[in-house]
Amino acid sequence: MRSILGLFGKSPFGPLTHHAEWVHETVVRIRPLFEAFAAEDWERTEEIYEEISELEHKADMIKNDIRDHLPKSMFMPVDRGDILIFLREQDRIADAVEDLGVLLTMRRTPTPPALRDGLFELVDAVIRTSEAWYETSRELPMLQEASFTGPEVTRVLEQINRVSELELEADDKQAAITKELFEHEEEIGPVSVMLWFNIFRVLGAVANHAENTGDFLRLMLARR
Amino acid sequence: MTVEVVILAVALIGGLYMAWSIGANDVANAMGTSVGSGALTLGAAIALAAVFEFGGAVLAGSSVTETISRGIIEISLFEPTGPLGEDGPALLAVGMLSALLASAIWLHLATHLGLPVSTTHSIVGSIFGIGIVSFGLSGVAWGSMIRIAMSWVISPLLGGLLSFLSFTAIRRWILRSPDPVAATRRYSPHLVGAVVVVMTLSFIYKVLHNRIEAAPVLFAIVIAAGLGIVAAVLAGALVRNTQPPERMGRYDYVERVFGLLQIATACFVAFAHGANDVSNAVGPVATIVTIHHAGFTNVAAQVGIPFWILVMGGVGIVTGLATFGYKVIATIGRQITEITPSRGFCAEFGAATTVLLASSLGLPISTTHTLVGGVIGIGFAQGIAALNLRMIRNIVNSWLATVPISAAVAAVLFLIARQIVL
Repeated sequence: MRSILGLFGKSPFGPLTHHAEWVHETVVRIRPLFEAFAAEDWERTEEIYEEISELEHKADMIKNDIRDHLPKSMFMPVDRGDILIFLREQDRIADAVEDLGVLLTMRRTPTPPALRDGLFELVDAVIRTSEAWYETSRELPMLQEASFTGPEVTRVLEQINRVSELELEADDKQAAITKELFEHEEEIGPVSVMLWFNIFRVLGAVANHAENTGDFLRLMLARR
Repeated sequence: MTVEVVILAVALIGGLYMAWSIGANDVANAMGTSVGSGALTLGAAIALAAVFEFGGAVLAGSSVTETISRGIIEISLFEPTGPLGEDGPALLAVGMLSALLASAIWLHLATHLGLPVSTTHSIVGSIFGIGIVSFGLSGVAWGSMIRIAMSWVISPLLGGLLSFLSFTAIRRWILRSPDPVAATRRYSPHLVGAVVVVMTLSFIYKVLHNRIEAAPVLFAIVIAAGLGIVAAVLAGALVRNTQPPERMGRYDYVERVFGLLQIATACFVAFAHGANDVSNAVGPVATIVTIHHAGFTNVAAQVGIPFWILVMGGVGIVTGLATFGYKVIATIGRQITEITPSRGFCAEFGAATTVLLASSLGLPISTTHTLVGGVIGIGFAQGIAALNLRMIRNIVNSWLATVPISAAVAAVLFLIARQIVL
């Protein structure tokens, strides 16, 4: 065929949003995961972990597909490196959620009553951050339509600021509950303390990666 | 049946085949972007393409046909008074026939292999080959050939520049505006006016040029500006009271308006394509018909291109479109999903303007390559999600390969045919 078809590459923007959808699917399972864990329903915890693991794998497949379709010869309206780094960071959100699943299925550990409220506050703060990130990520195809300019960019930049604010809240919650943990270190016991410390750290990482994803999107837009 | 009649008959069949092939394959590039962006349905695209391709071929196809027919090789060397003696005209007819067939063979093969070759490059290369075998380097009309080669480099660049500028304007005035819907209502009439001015000017210089004595520049500009203003006012009245329907995104509204504008540029492209590419099919035929007409006694008795030859080319293109081209358009339309009407509008506007400009200078250029230039121009203005720049290399390669290969095939065919005929 003597056609111009060969000129058009596969757009990464739709698939990046698609990737975000699968990553978000792992995030919405964080709360049920902790609820099952806190209720000491180990079977259910295991089940949810397996679901997360499967979803994370699906996100990985999309990630690989996007990378496969972005050879160096591809010319795009935003920097190719910015797109790849954004994708990597977005994927790390799902990786962190999967790590949570691993931690929670490793050792049957009761949830100390003293940590309970703070734990769910942290979980919710992390999910809120992550949801704000998800909203920005879904704007990518629209940004491309707008040729990365105009009111669309302003709106997305505002949303990114919101992700940062929420991440700060999640950080505070993480610091507060970690302090709480060490206040009860005697009754909780050293092994459990170690496990909880790591759980809080990884929960914080989910919010961190969500914030970083937003920051890389900002970088993508700032170079216009 | 005499040899002369056989040559004429084969030339007519070859010319029709080439026209069919252009209609079947090349129109798709011009129309595929409109179908892909959803500006036109497949049926509407075919109907408009048929009308405007035919119109372009018949009304505006003569100057490029003239170039293909007489401007690539030094045809005066084939006069009976020239070095070949009385066999000159017959040899030129056989040569043009060989060029036509060589070009058809190479295009068929390349299409089969999926190479992005240009019909124009192929026919020009073939005729160039005939000139070389007949008289060596002195058989080629170098002045014209160099102009053509330069136009092959300049046309994608110019198409790209015009598309880049028009998309940059849309981006600046509409997409970047705080209210893209209001900006569309405000600026789209200006775009309609601009398109109408360019189309009118090219129509005056391209179509009427051959029919009336040279149109005075001032007259042309006044007419074009007048029509442009009328069109802009009409478009303004049409678009003024439109509102995006409930739940429709603002860019959806912008794209819907551009979908209407793109219908105009799609017709413009089809017209320009017909005007430029019909020559690839009927240029050599015109030479042979002229020689036949003169009873094989001279090569340049007739001035101008017989009208019926352009009609034949137009019919061939439309037939190709109707029998096979619609499938190719559908395929391209399905696969080009990355191009929206605002982008399609710019690519088509840039490409069509460039092609018609080249046509009025009698320069045979590749419509496809110009359109590729236009799309890349929009890419550089940040309008397209992902462009495979390797395509540029493929095009340069196919260009560099097509000219020598089609020249060689034509030369071989000519040497064989010469043995048979004489």
